[in-house]
Amino acid sequence: MEFWKQLIPPFDFQQVFVEPWTEYLDSFLWIFAMGFLVTAACGFLGTFIVWRRMALVGDAISHSVLPGIVIAFLVSQSRDTLPMFLGALGAGVLTTVLIELIHQKSRIKTDAALGIVFTTLFAFGVVLVSLYGENVDLDVDCVLYGELEHVIFETPVAFLGLFEAPNSVLRMGAVTLAVMVLVAVFYRPLLLSSFDPGLARSMGVSPAVIHHALMALLAVVVVSAFEAVGAVLVIAMLIFPATTASLLSDRLPVILGLTLLIALLSAFLGLHLALWLDASTAASISVVIFGMFLAAWASRCVTRVAREGFRR
Amino acid sequence: MTAFFEYVARNVVRRLGSFVGLALAPCRSAGKRCRIGLPRRGASAGPTKLVESASVTWAEAPRYVVGLALALLVVSSARAAKIGDLESLDFGEQFARFFTLQDEIVRLALLGSVFLGVSCGLLGSFIVVRKLSLFGDTLSHAVLPGVAIGYLVSGYKDPVAIFVGATLAGLLGTVLVQLIKKTTHIKEDSSLGMVLAGFYGLGVVLMNRIQAMPTGTQSGLDKFLFGQVAALSSVEVWMMGGVALASILLVTVFYRQFLLGSFDVGFARGLGLPTGLFHYLLMLLLAFTVVVSLQAVGAVLVSAMLVIPAASAYLLTDRMHRMLIIASVFGVLSGSLGAFLSFFGNSLPTGPLMVLASSFVFCLCFFLSPRHGLFSRWRKRKTRDHRILNENTLKAIYHVREERGFVGEGVGLSQLAERMGETAEEAKRRVRELVSAGLCDIQESGAKSEALLNPDGWLRACAVIRNHRLWELYLTNQAAYEPDHVHDDAEVIEHVLGEDTVRRLERLLDYPSQDPHGKLIPSLADLQRSLVKTPSPEPPSGYRMPGS
Amino acid sequence: MSNFPLEAHDLTVAYDRRPVIYGVDVQVPEGKLIGILGPNGAGKSTLIKAVMGIVPKSGGWVKVFGKPFERNAARVGYVPQRESVDWDFPVNVMDVVLMGRYGKLGLTGRLSSSDRDAAADALEKVGMLPFAKRQISNLSGGQQQRVFLARALAQESDLYLMDEPFVGVDAATEAAIIELLRELKSRGKTILAVHHDLPTAQTYFDMLLLLNMRLVAFGPTEEVFTQELLQKTYGGRLTILAEVADQRVQRK
Repeated sequence: MEFWKQLIPPFDFQQVFVEPWTEYLDSFLWIFAMGFLVTAACGFLGTFIVWRRMALVGDAISHSVLPGIVIAFLVSQSRDTLPMFLGALGAGVLTTVLIELIHQKSRIKTDAALGIVFTTLFAFGVVLVSLYGENVDLDVDCVLYGELEHVIFETPVAFLGLFEAPNSVLRMGAVTLAVMVLVAVFYRPLLLSSFDPGLARSMGVSPAVIHHALMALLAVVVVSAFEAVGAVLVIAMLIFPATTASLLSDRLPVILGLTLLIALLSAFLGLHLALWLDASTAASISVVIFGMFLAAWASRCVTRVAREGFRR
Repeated sequence: MTAFFEYVARNVVRRLGSFVGLALAPCRSAGKRCRIGLPRRGASAGPTKLVESASVTWAEAPRYVVGLALALLVVSSARAAKIGDLESLDFGEQFARFFTLQDEIVRLALLGSVFLGVSCGLLGSFIVVRKLSLFGDTLSHAVLPGVAIGYLVSGYKDPVAIFVGATLAGLLGTVLVQLIKKTTHIKEDSSLGMVLAGFYGLGVVLMNRIQAMPTGTQSGLDKFLFGQVAALSSVEVWMMGGVALASILLVTVFYRQFLLGSFDVGFARGLGLPTGLFHYLLMLLLAFTVVVSLQAVGAVLVSAMLVIPAASAYLLTDRMHRMLIIASVFGVLSGSLGAFLSFFGNSLPTGPLMVLASSFVFCLCFFLSPRHGLFSRWRKRKTRDHRILNENTLKAIYHVREERGFVGEGVGLSQLAERMGETAEEAKRRVRELVSAGLCDIQESGAKSEALLNPDGWLRACAVIRNHRLWELYLTNQAAYEPDHVHDDAEVIEHVLGEDTVRRLERLLDYPSQDPHGKLIPSLADLQRSLVKTPSPEPPSGYRMPGS
Repeated sequence: MSNFPLEAHDLTVAYDRRPVIYGVDVQVPEGKLIGILGPNGAGKSTLIKAVMGIVPKSGGWVKVFGKPFERNAARVGYVPQRESVDWDFPVNVMDVVLMGRYGKLGLTGRLSSSDRDAAADALEKVGMLPFAKRQISNLSGGQQQRVFLARALAQESDLYLMDEPFVGVDAATEAAIIELLRELKSRGKTILAVHHDLPTAQTYFDMLLLLNMRLVAFGPTEEVFTQELLQKTYGGRLTILAEVADQRVQRK
């Protein structure tokens, strides 16, 4: 019994829900902002990823950017944004190219090609981290579940003279905004090419261009979210908001709006869960969205059964 | 006492060896039996035989490896070293330690890698041919909360509790994927991703809690993420052995059911086989394999050890039973190599190294596989392109001679260049290619050089022309093409028509002598008759007139 | 009680609560070559799969030679659609044909030389024996279909169910297959084949089963192949129907 008490610490409402918003507001706000931005950007983009059945490609890319990031660190000897982006983008492009190569030049199917390429690149990245971990200021834990709460250790930088915020939060904000703007601007071609590639091509929209643009955007989002949530948990942020929303509505604009709402709610609840259990923030957010999905699923099943019972 | 132990050990090894050999025997005999009495073409025999003979010797390999490893473990388990002894050693000593197998850790690690390789290779082969690779990935992540719960229930790192917990979690994840697929419109890839991420997140939170507990820092659970083969306990190794043995046994006994269930489920049900039962049996074995491999490879990368060796084997062979054997061998090789490398770098996690080792094997197969490798494909295409180029040159020479009514042997290079629409240098280069292929000679007479086809070259030229014109005739007569539309098609087909097809075409077209454009078709019978040295009224040129 | 090779009563199959075939009653006599005709999505393949329990029945019952399918599975040979399998699978032609013998082997039985002989005979019949060692991905569409047919022959069954055996095969293979089916029929076997080409249907089959969710008609070709019934089956969507029926009338 003692054991279980240690496992689940006592729940203190004051400590878990009130104090962060009062006493530690300064730092907590940024953690919350980061959590929300990551989940929102991933969820928003994830709607299209899920719809186009690229969910596991997203997982593959989130794994395989690791060696790109580490090599960029080792080459540039800094944690600057640009080299990291370039390294990760390079690794992302390499992943898609290798998958295509293996699939086309041999009789191995796409799923196995995916499984081969991303695990290999990821393994390579992990070995690099284990060998040069001290030099690049990255450790295996960070790779596995991210260190979202580390944003408070960054020195805040001024944003347009309006307010000061940690660098990574600003960067994630810019990425999130970019994702939303791009999706809004290219909404119609995106919709068309996801739903009916043949029609899209006949109307002058190249599905290949859209596909690669989406992959590039995915790589950018994954890289900016990497430090916060690590390589493995990105997929939770990518898929869960979209699938949960699609259980609740079947209209795309509503689904897109719902993903933002789900992102907000899961970031909020996830952060407090992490505070309560003293666990990894990213993992807690994943658990919360998982729970939200299960709830949406259960409610849908219940209403369906109820409706049918009524009909009879 | 020692003598007794050695006797026991030797007996055990012999029994096990013959048992494993027995288990593999049906596969081998099946392969051999088919070989009898069935004609095989000489051309394709080369590479096939290579693989066959290789796989037969490979089939013996696991028997010896297992036997050797077991013998070493049983005989000299008295001399054991403690974990941690391996730290802080220099390269040479490390090397010696690994290969002399003095340490129990090394022996356990190596034995574990062998078991891991065998079971991952066997199950992975089915995963790859059933296109379930990503399912394996999901399963390997989904077991994580089970590991944590197993630890919590038992209160320490109890292999059995963790095994049970992880298996249950894996099966729950599997069921959840199926349920989501059945009850919602969500596609399979998304449901796989969700179970993967949700369970993994849950596992990480639970592990964070365990590590926050007073006893948690020594839990060693972090090793379950990337694996550490040096941390294997003997119980864990025996569990791996049990799973490997069960996999070998079940796959051998129910090989047919697994094969048919993977190839054609509909037909299997039509035969009245309990396909569902065997599917779940396979999934259960897969879950066991993933769970026992956790400590060695880690949850994040188990799927790679399932997929990569099997995919490499898939590139080497066209038969399922060989694929199973080769995949196991690759699994054992890369597992041991990974364990070995992990001993070199003291703190390096094993999983990634094993994966890199198997990726290396995959790369070799991908490029060098005799039948499906990139290199052999490239070489095949290269030789084909080369042949087509040569045949086109031969054709051009024939055309030049035909234009002047087959008078005179030599064909001037300038005429040839004109006919081919190429520069004189290019024409000369092409003729040189023919010379090096032994089809043609170059005769230099003053400033003018001429190409002289030798009999072989002449036959080839006639054969290509015959293919081209026969096909044109076939298209116009039988497929009702317009005569001016058939040339391009014939340009392609002339290089690939086999002798059988040509015979059939000739018979079909009633041994024609003229193509749709009114030109002569050199017939197959003529060509072959000229191969036999029969005296015939040849014109003094030395060449036969085609079709005469 | 007569033992029809195939007898179905009120057979109903639903995917996701949507009925695909509904209330099919049919008694198939022995020694006939029967074509199953109907528009796309009419449930032709589903009917065959429901007979063998590959898709679950939502209602009704099926009997094969007077017994439930499971107890007489060995007497039923099956030719699935060609697209239903992955032709890159690492097996060769002989392996595939030997699968036809698996039903007779029990749980752990071994393949004997008589099984191999039977498989080689079946391959010989479809003219594929020279390809026995060929990997299945190196076959043309017609050859793949012949291999499936050989596998069904190797089952040595009394009732054959074939799902679109003529799709995507060359004219020579189609002629060879129909020849083979007639030979089987002459040995007293019963064959049901899903077919979708109307002009050839009337020459190939003794009996026709017209299906469009419900059973529209079942009987000898001459009686069933009428404009009225075909119209009823295809819902007047095919204009060539009228032509085909006219041709028939004229020929008479």
